[in-house]
Amino acid sequence: MVPLQFSHFQALLLFALIISLAFGTLGRRRPLERLKYAAWSFAMFLLVGIALGWLMYPFSR
Amino acid sequence: MSDELTANQPADDPHASAPAESETHPVEHPSPGHGTVEAEVRAIAVALMGWLVPGLGHALQKMWGRAVAIFLAVGCLVYLGAGLRGNLFAPGGEDAFERLGYAADLGTGGFYLVARMLESSGADVSHADGDYGTRFLATAGVLNLLAALHAYEAARGRKA
Repeated sequence: MVPLQFSHFQALLLFALIISLAFGTLGRRRPLERLKYAAWSFAMFLLVGIALGWLMYPFSR
Repeated sequence: MSDELTANQPADDPHASAPAESETHPVEHPSPGHGTVEAEVRAIAVALMGWLVPGLGHALQKMWGRAVAIFLAVGCLVYLGAGLRGNLFAPGGEDAFERLGYAADLGTGGFYLVARMLESSGADVSHADGDYGTRFLATAGVLNLLAALHAYEAARGRKA
């Protein structure tokens, strides 16, 4: 197969999207609740990921 | 996807006449034969099938939405992980990290072999992409184990 290449942010987006959808589907029963939970998980993944990235920034050089 | 709401409810559900209550407060309904050895064996079989083929544990219980979601999520993670040339750990690792990685990768069940076939050129963790790929593969395994456990709980009649 052709090797894939992503930027850090693209990898974070893909990871967050897939896991959030799976969490939403597994964790909630009703479609609207699933959507809300998936959206919340997605937002938290991005927020915490970017926050951790900035926290590590001073030590990266 | 609302089919899952009634997946574990017996046909003679006494709450059927009170839809208002069951809609606002879903009640736990044990499956027929709940608590018996036969039901426990069935639940374990469902979990094993769910581990072997991601989503099959839910599909066997007619939870179609969850089955498709798990299959696609684990499949996408494995495909991306292999495409990024992540490290797919083999048995007989020398340190605890490798053994733990193998356990996580093995969680993908049958998809472990698919990842092996997809990653024909081997792993390359000299770049960030390969490192991300390793995480994608491990996450696929852990997610599939979580789904298999969820299917097991649902088969036992627990609220899932």
